Formats: sequence, structure tokens, C-alpha cells
Amino acid sequence: MKKKLGVYICACGGNISDYVDIERVREAVKDEDCVIMAKTTMFACGDSNQKDMEADIKENNLSGIVVASCSPKLHLTTFRGVSERAGLNKYNYVHANIREQASWAHSDNKPGATEKAIHLVKAAIAKARLAESLEPIVIESKRAVAVIGAGVAGLKAAISLARMNDDVYLIERDSKIGGKLNELETISPENISGKELLERLQKEIASEERITLITNAEVVASRGNIGDFKLTVRISGPQGNTEKEIHAGSVLVSTGFNSYTPAEGEFGFATVPNVITLPEFRKLMGGQKKAAEGGSGKLVYNGKEINSIAYIYCVGSRQVKGDNKYCSRYCCTAAVQASLDVRAIAPEIENFHFHKGIRTYGKQELIYKESNSKGDVYIQFMDKKPPVVSAAEGGISVKALDVLTEKRESEVIADLVVLVTGMVPDSDTSIGTLFKLPKGRDNFYNEIHMKLRPVETVIDGITIAGTCQGPKNVMESVNSSLSAAAKSHSFVSKGELELEPIIAYVNADTCNWCDACSKACPFNAVAMVETAGGQKASINKSTCKGCGMCLPVCPSDSIELISFTNRDMEDMIDVLAL
Amino acid sequence: MQKEPITLTYDAIVIGGGIAGGEAALNLANNGYKVVLVESRLSVGGKMIMLSKVFPTLDCSACITTPKVSEISRHPNIKIFTESDITSIDKLGEQSFVVKMTQRPRYVVAEDCTACQLCEQACPVIVKDQFQYGLVGRKAVYIPFSIASPKVAAIDIDNCTLCGACEKVCPPGCIDFTMKPKEYIFNVKTAIVATGFRLYDPTNVPRYSYGTAKNVITSIQMERLLAPTRPFHTILRSSDGKVPDKIAYVLCAGSRDDSMGNPICSQICCMYSIKQAQLLLGALPMADITIYYIDIRAFGKGYDEFYEQAVSMGVRFVKGKIGKITEKENGNLTLRYEDVATGKLKEAEHDMVVLSVGVKPNKEAADLFKSHKLELDGLSFVKQSDPLLSPAKTSIDGVFVAGAATGPKDIPDSILSAGAASTEAISYLNQKSQ
Ligand SMILES: Cc1cc2nc3c(=O)[nH]c(=O)nc-3n(C[C@H](O)[C@H](O)[C@H](O)COP(=O)(O)OP(=O)(O)OC[C@H]3O[C@@H](n4cnc5c(N)ncnc54)[C@H](O)[C@@H]3O)c2cc1C
Ligand code: SF4
Ligand code: SF4
Ligand code: SF4
Ligand code: SF4
Repeated sequence: MKKKLGVYICACGGNISDYVDIERVREAVKDEDCVIMAKTTMFACGDSNQKDMEADIKENNLSGIVVASCSPKLHLTTFRGVSERAGLNKYNYVHANIREQASWAHSDNKPGATEKAIHLVKAAIAKARLAESLEPIVIESKRAVAVIGAGVAGLKAAISLARMNDDVYLIERDSKIGGKLNELETISPENISGKELLERLQKEIASEERITLITNAEVVASRGNIGDFKLTVRISGPQGNTEKEIHAGSVLVSTGFNSYTPAEGEFGFATVPNVITLPEFRKLMGGQKKAAEGGSGKLVYNGKEINSIAYIYCVGSRQVKGDNKYCSRYCCTAAVQASLDVRAIAPEIENFHFHKGIRTYGKQELIYKESNSKGDVYIQFMDKKPPVVSAAEGGISVKALDVLTEKRESEVIADLVVLVTGMVPDSDTSIGTLFKLPKGRDNFYNEIHMKLRPVETVIDGITIAGTCQGPKNVMESVNSSLSAAAKSHSFVSKGELELEPIIAYVNADTCNWCDACSKACPFNAVAMVETAGGQKASINKSTCKGCGMCLPVCPSDSIELISFTNRDMEDMIDVLAL
Repeated sequence: MQKEPITLTYDAIVIGGGIAGGEAALNLANNGYKVVLVESRLSVGGKMIMLSKVFPTLDCSACITTPKVSEISRHPNIKIFTESDITSIDKLGEQSFVVKMTQRPRYVVAEDCTACQLCEQACPVIVKDQFQYGLVGRKAVYIPFSIASPKVAAIDIDNCTLCGACEKVCPPGCIDFTMKPKEYIFNVKTAIVATGFRLYDPTNVPRYSYGTAKNVITSIQMERLLAPTRPFHTILRSSDGKVPDKIAYVLCAGSRDDSMGNPICSQICCMYSIKQAQLLLGALPMADITIYYIDIRAFGKGYDEFYEQAVSMGVRFVKGKIGKITEKENGNLTLRYEDVATGKLKEAEHDMVVLSVGVKPNKEAADLFKSHKLELDGLSFVKQSDPLLSPAKTSIDGVFVAGAATGPKDIPDSILSAGAASTEAISYLNQKSQ
């Protein structure tokens, strides 16, 4: 039966219609074969338009729709939902991206943008004419989540997953849990130490029967996919290594960060005495008694009393020359907090802060105010002129051009220099490599969409939490970890999952197993099977992602992708080439 | 008046229909819980639905919000009440809360209204449009805004003259002046507070001349001028229609200053100002844009890069504290400021000044809770009882908090905190019912 197609062309409130003449697009496509209605709309995704589309589908018995709007990355599920609610199988909806691909890409050439949009919509119509109804692949999902990394994010995720009745495997590389919590002194906004927090978490972990904690453990291999990841975990022990296989429906990655290690000579690090990093400074403070608790009232380093400290901010972050362009978010507050804490040990100490603009955002501003009121000195240096650190008589000289005094040079002779080091991704990238997790330009693991899907990765079933996704303080890490827990929970809680049916399939009549496809598949979804007709390729339905890598390498053209068949592609190309 | 309140039962109540409340409701609903979402305004979507594009990705805000909003409004597990006020929440015991709520009358039968706007055309009364932050007018009967949800007319009875013009033209005849407030009682097991924030009122600082100088506007007004659903379809001074070409941003307007009643940093205003500056340069490539700042707080993922991008696009950043803004006869503005780099007092003329107003708490959230006290922090934001390990917990067991209700937050942070609140709520429902 001939298809009845409806076409919707979105203005995106100007995002599209400012450059693409959507009325012309409508005119150009309204008489295409099978198109029985073509409409423009202000916001295709808007509630009222969705209602209109549903009504159109029902009233006109549409057997397919084409939506021409933004990237399907944003709204594929939105319009699939519209189709389903109107009783139309969702695979009869085809999308054309005329925002990113036409209006935004060609904002300098409006007629050209319009012309391209027309072609894209026509190609989508060609595809919609051939579209077939499909049913999702339903697979079983193990009610268990593997949490990798037992820092604060991983611990909180594990506890809340267990409390949502999921089994949890908590896998930690180290012999002890807690990650950086083990090293933290005061954590703002509460006056509590990392150790105290960790004790609380340890108790909670111990009381959750669903959590299996595996320390000294490394994930060395992974098979399977969402619903059933099979992880091989290598556990090192006094008697050597053992291996264990774990099955989980979802994996939550919370592998944390490293503190930036300055290069030798960077701000005098390792070349000038008494230049230490912020984590080293915190450790130093941890070992000394507060004045009010019977301490000497002095801070001592290397046997010598410290009377003045210079802090240099943004070390390893916001680099003008180096690769780390990003701000590490937590370190301004952490450094200001440390400079307040040191006053509890040595009340008379002098603090000099060399910074690039203090970023104590939100309520953290209050500790910056407190620090100012205690008489700390803040010197803002020029972006492109970082301070110079050198050994000097009576201490260490820190020189900088001060933004506040019309770029006059300020020099401070301090007893100790603290380099406020930022966060960098964990140096052990094995988990990222194992699961093929994409990274952002800052090298932290990347989410799919910062606002729509902030804890998901492009690998189905794998979520990211805490600082492995980007710099965060403790509270922010926990928020992201609980969000990731909610997401992972939703992958496993129903016991089954629906997967995309758009996958590759093999024509066994023409295939004569040459192995090319299995080599090309990035997901290990192709295997050889013995059949009566000889050796053939066979594709695992739940592993295949429909990426299409196997198609072009097949010498006998025996592989097709459902809904992107040669016929589909040829018809689309014919229209585009017109 | 109805005789008996309508009593309904849900697993969870979410108070506030901004992005945080919406996200929390969806998380719960997708896990099978029944949720009632109460919004005090005519539409859900909070501040976010009114924004232009959002930093640092420059996604169109409406494009991200509307599908969420439509998912919420269609979800079989979510019931939304707009234009509704909660009058009390009492906790009877663990997993047992009683909520009393009044829905104010819209004077339009929502189910029948087709949003044809004929009533708007007929109505003779014009007042300032609060959804466009006073930039334009609206009628006494009006559809809140083009992407409102529900997209249904309502009558602003305080300004209505009861002339009946709308009633006559309404095709489905859905205008009903006899509508009365409706009383409801909800029995729920857990609650999520997502009441968001208020914007700082710049009339508190007379030297900014907001409200007296015509071309001093707030950042949220600029959001409306820039939004896809913008009122004038272009950037102009609403006082005289002139296209501005020398625009100034005053950062920390109502933040980081005890004397303004707000000691903290508002966390979002540096970034949204940088975003607006970039959007303005897109719309008005020849314009000259200056941002007067104290510190630039571009701290999140991709934010510092976004700031550097603005610098390279030609946005001028001047480290300086604004003293006084005075209006000239032609409507232009003279800014007196202390140029921090030189320590000198300087003056500059701009034809439009945008105040990057800060974030203030919505204190009323605490008043809703009667039997137990919902504690606020020293700044009157909802207090987090365990901020480091359970950021969504409040002083009342079983009541959680999401979004900007606990303090300034941008959208990504609001969404993550909503995820946390819903996870805590699910854990609470699970644990105690075992
Ligand atoms: C000018 C401006 C530009 C911005 N630009 C960006 C940007 O580009 N990117 C970004 O990430 N962030 C941006 N933000 C920040 C963003 O707006 C907030 O992060 C976000 O709106 C917070 O969401 P929320 O749900 O917590 O609060 P809100 O949006 O304030 O929502 C709270 C909701 O609760 C309702 N409510 C309040 N009290 C009650 C009650 N008692 N009963 C029932 N309902 C109630 C309110 O009516 C409202 O609908 C911007 C903010 C401003 C002001
Ligand atoms: S938080 Fe502060 S110290 Fe850290 S990178 Fe950002 S600006 Fe620099
Ligand atoms: S005239 Fe009636 S149907 Fe049309 S918008 Fe107004 S109230 Fe709704
Ligand atoms: S009755 Fe009220 S709302 Fe209706 S047209 Fe008259 S003034 Fe406007
Ligand atoms: S975010 Fe920027 S503009 Fe806003 S209060 Fe903080 S420093 Fe000021």
C-alpha cells in the first residue's frame, strides 16, 4: 500500500528560520511522492505541536512522518514518543537535521542553506517511503551494578544502589577505600575531616548486605553489554593474583582524579627548597597540633618555623601555554580554606595569595570574606605573566605583576610556597580504554549531554560519576554520583531492557565467511557459525550497535543494516544528488 | 465553595515545577512512583523555560526545556497542578505526609481552551506582562507565553473589568467567571522541595537607577530580548526602539556585598553575562560590549574556555566596581566606576546597561511545613542537613531538596542535585517499607 506521509518543518523559534526559508522548504516538498501534508511549526518539540502531530497522524491515518528540525541527538525520543502515542510504529518516523546541518552550518548563505534543507528533507522523505515497522529487541537485565572506584562518589553510589535494592560490586584498585578522602583535612562547607566522613561511609557500606566490596582489584577485561556486562576482575593478594568474573546490568565508573604534579622547575617545584603542592601542604598541616589544642602556635616544616606563606593559584589549570585550559573548580576554595586552617595552627602566620581571580563561587564566597577579614593579602597576577619563584636571602622570592596596582611588580619573600595544583584525570586510563569511553577536550570522561544526559556515556549502560567526569568538590561529586546511581538503577531495576532493533544482519546465502566483518566490528558482535551451508558470519543481536562498520568491508555485500539498507541509502543519495 | 476537599494519594509530592522539580519528578515517575507536582505559577518550566540559550554549549533553552516539560505533562505517573498554593504540609510519621493545597481559579476551563487567542484580542485591558519581565504588555485574559505548559488562557482577575468581551468571542465557550478555588488534600510518602530562587531586586540599590533610567535593564530581561520567543524579534531599547550598539554589563549586581543584603556570590551571573555577550555579538556584530566585573567565575566544565572564547570574540572585560549610573537626556547612560587596574575613577557612556542580578532565596518554602520545621541556612536557603554526604537531605526525614532552593546553581548543577534528591527519595521509600 502506498505510504501516507506527514512532513513537519520546524522554525526552532528562529534558530532555523533565521537562515532557512522554511516556507520555501515546505513548498518544495509538499508535492513529493507519498506526502499528503506538509506543515511548518515554531517549535516542533513544543507541547502544542506534539499534540497537533498526534492528531494529524490519527485523523489522516498517516503511515509515516518526517520531522525536519534540530539534531536527532536532541529529540529522537521526543518524536518517537509522538508516533507511539498516535499509534504509529516509531520506526516510521524519519528525521532530517536542518539546524546543525543547514541553518547553523550555512548562516552566511541563506539561499544555500534553504536549498540544502530542501535536499535533506527530500532525502528523509525518500527514506520514510521505505521505512518499515520494527519491534525493539528485548533482553534480560541483571539486577546488579558494578561500581568501579571507591572514592566518595563510588561509595555513595554503592550505598544508594543497595538501598534501591540492587546488588552492587564495588571494585577498588587500592587496598583501602575512600580515595582522596583519606588525605583531606577540613572539607567546606562543614568543619569535618575526610577521615571522619570516611568512617561514616565505611559503617554504611558494611551494613549493606547487597554490597560486595572487592579491594586490590582491577577490571582487566569486559565482555557483553548493557543488561549483562561480564567483567573479569583481577585481585592481587599475598598469594598472587586471582581472577573473578562479575555479571552486572550496568557499570558506574567513578575512578576519580589525580592532583596535578608540577614539572621540575615549574614555579620552583623540586628546584627551590620549601616549594610544595597544596596536597602536600594539607598533609603537613594534618601532622601538626592546633594552637588551641595545646600546639606550639607555630607551623614547622623541615625543622624550620614558617612565618609566611605564598600561595600560587591555577598551577596546572587555566594554562596559557600548557594543555590544561580548564579551571579546576575546587582549588580556589580549597586553598583559601587551607590558608584559614593554617591559622588555627599558627595564628600569627602571614598569607599571600597570588591568584588569577578568586573563584569562591556561591556560598564559598563567605570563606573568602573571612580570609580577607583576617588580613590575608591577595595579589592578582596577569594571565600571561605568571609569578616567578626563586631562592632568595631569608626565604623564597615570589614576584608578580599586580593587576591591582597598574601592573607594578610585587615581591614577597616567603618561608613556604604552596602551589595550588588543580585536578587532572586519573593517570590510570585502563577503564576508559577497556570500555572505549570518550573523553572531552579536557581529557576527562565525557557525558552525552551536559543538561539532558549528564551522567550517561555513549556506551549504553555505562554511567560516570564524580571527578572522572570533570573537577568537582565533595558535595558536587556526591550529587553527580547519586544521579548516576539513579540512572544505573533504571537500567537494571526492571529486569529487562529494550534495545534498538537497528542492527546489522547477514545474508547467509551469499556470505562465505572471510572474517573481514568480524575484524571491522568495534564491538565484537560478529562470530563465525558452522551451518549446513558452510561457515557463515553471525551477528549478536544484543551486542551489535548498528554502527555499520562491517558493511563496507564485506567483499560479497552480504551484510545490510536494518532501516539503512542499500536501497534506503541509494534512494536518499539519488535525491541529494539531484 | 466546594464542600469537601478532594483527597488524593501519591507516592511523592514535588513542590516547584522548574527544571529541578521537573527532573526529580521524571526520575521518580520513570521508576514507577506516582508523583504530584505542584507549581505556583500558570506554567511549569521555571526560569529555564524563559531563557535564551544556555552556557556553555549554547543550546537553545526552549529546545531542551519543552520536551522535558512535555514528557512531564504526559507522563502517566505524574499529575501536575499549576496556579496552586500549598497551605500546609504535616508529617504524621515516617512515609506519611498530609499536604493541603488550593488551586486558584483560572476562570478558563483548561480542558476546553484551544489557545486560539481570540479572547486576548478582544480584551480591552492592558497590563505589564510578568512572563516577559515587564518588557511588553499583555491582556487581562492571556496565554502566559507561547511555549507555556499547559498552553491555556487564564484571566488575571485583579485587572479584569468583567466587561465580558472575552466570554463573547471564545469559540468553545470556556470562560467561566464563576470558578472558585479548589481545595485538595494529598496523602504522600515523601516530598521534594524544588522551589528555586528569586532574582535580586535592583531597586534596592538606588545608584543603579533601575526603574528610573529607562535603558537600565536586568539580565533576565535581556534573556527575553535574546530568546527565540522574544517579544520584539530583535534586540532594541524598549524605551525608544533604538538598536543599542554600546552595551554594558554590571556584574555582581546585588551579590558579594553585605550592604546590598547579599554577601555571597550568585554563581551563575558571570557565566550568563558572558553567554549573553556572545549572543549579542551574534545578533549585533558591530556592537561594543563591555563587562564590568570583580572576578570572573568561570569554574565549570568548559566554562573557562567559554570565557576565553568571549575574550577572543572581542568582548571587553574591565575589572571595575560600578559606582553610579546616571541617565542622559538621550536615554544613554553614564557609568562611574573605579577602574581597578589604575585605581582611578572613570566614566563611560553606554546606550544600554544590563544589571547581572544575583540569586536570592525563596524563603516561603519553610512556611509550608507546619508539624516539623524545615530549617533554613543563615542566608535563608533551605538548609542541607548533611551537605557533604547527602546534599539532598533536609532537617525533616523524608523531605528532600533539589535545585537552586539550597543556594545558587546553574542548570547542570540543578539537574544533578535533582538526580540526587530523587535517588534519596527512592531509597527512603524502599528502606522503610521493607
Ligand atoms: C538571567 C539568567 C540567565 C541564566 N542563564 C543560564 C544559562 O545560560 N545556563 C545555566 O546553566 N543556567 C542559567 N541560569 C540559571 C538557571 O536559571 C537556574 O539554574 C535554574 O533555573 C534553577 O532551576 P530551579 O528549578 O532550581 O529553580 P526555578 O527555575 O526558580 O524553578 C522553581 C519553580 O518553583 C516554583 N515555586 C516556587 N515556590 C513554590 C511554591 N511554594 N509552591 C509551588 N511552586 C513554587 C516557581 O514558580 C518555579 O517555577 C540563568 C539564570 C538567570 C537569572
Ligand atoms: S578554582 Fe581557582 S585555582 Fe583552581 S583553576 Fe580555577 S581559578 Fe585556578
Ligand atoms: S478564546 Fe477561549 S479557547 Fe480561545 S484562547 Fe481564549 S479561552 Fe482559550
Ligand atoms: S472580561 Fe476581563 S478578561 Fe475578559 S475581556 Fe473583559 S477585561 Fe478582559
Ligand atoms: S557569579 Fe560572577 S557576577 Fe555573579 S556574583 Fe559571582 S562573581 Fe559576581
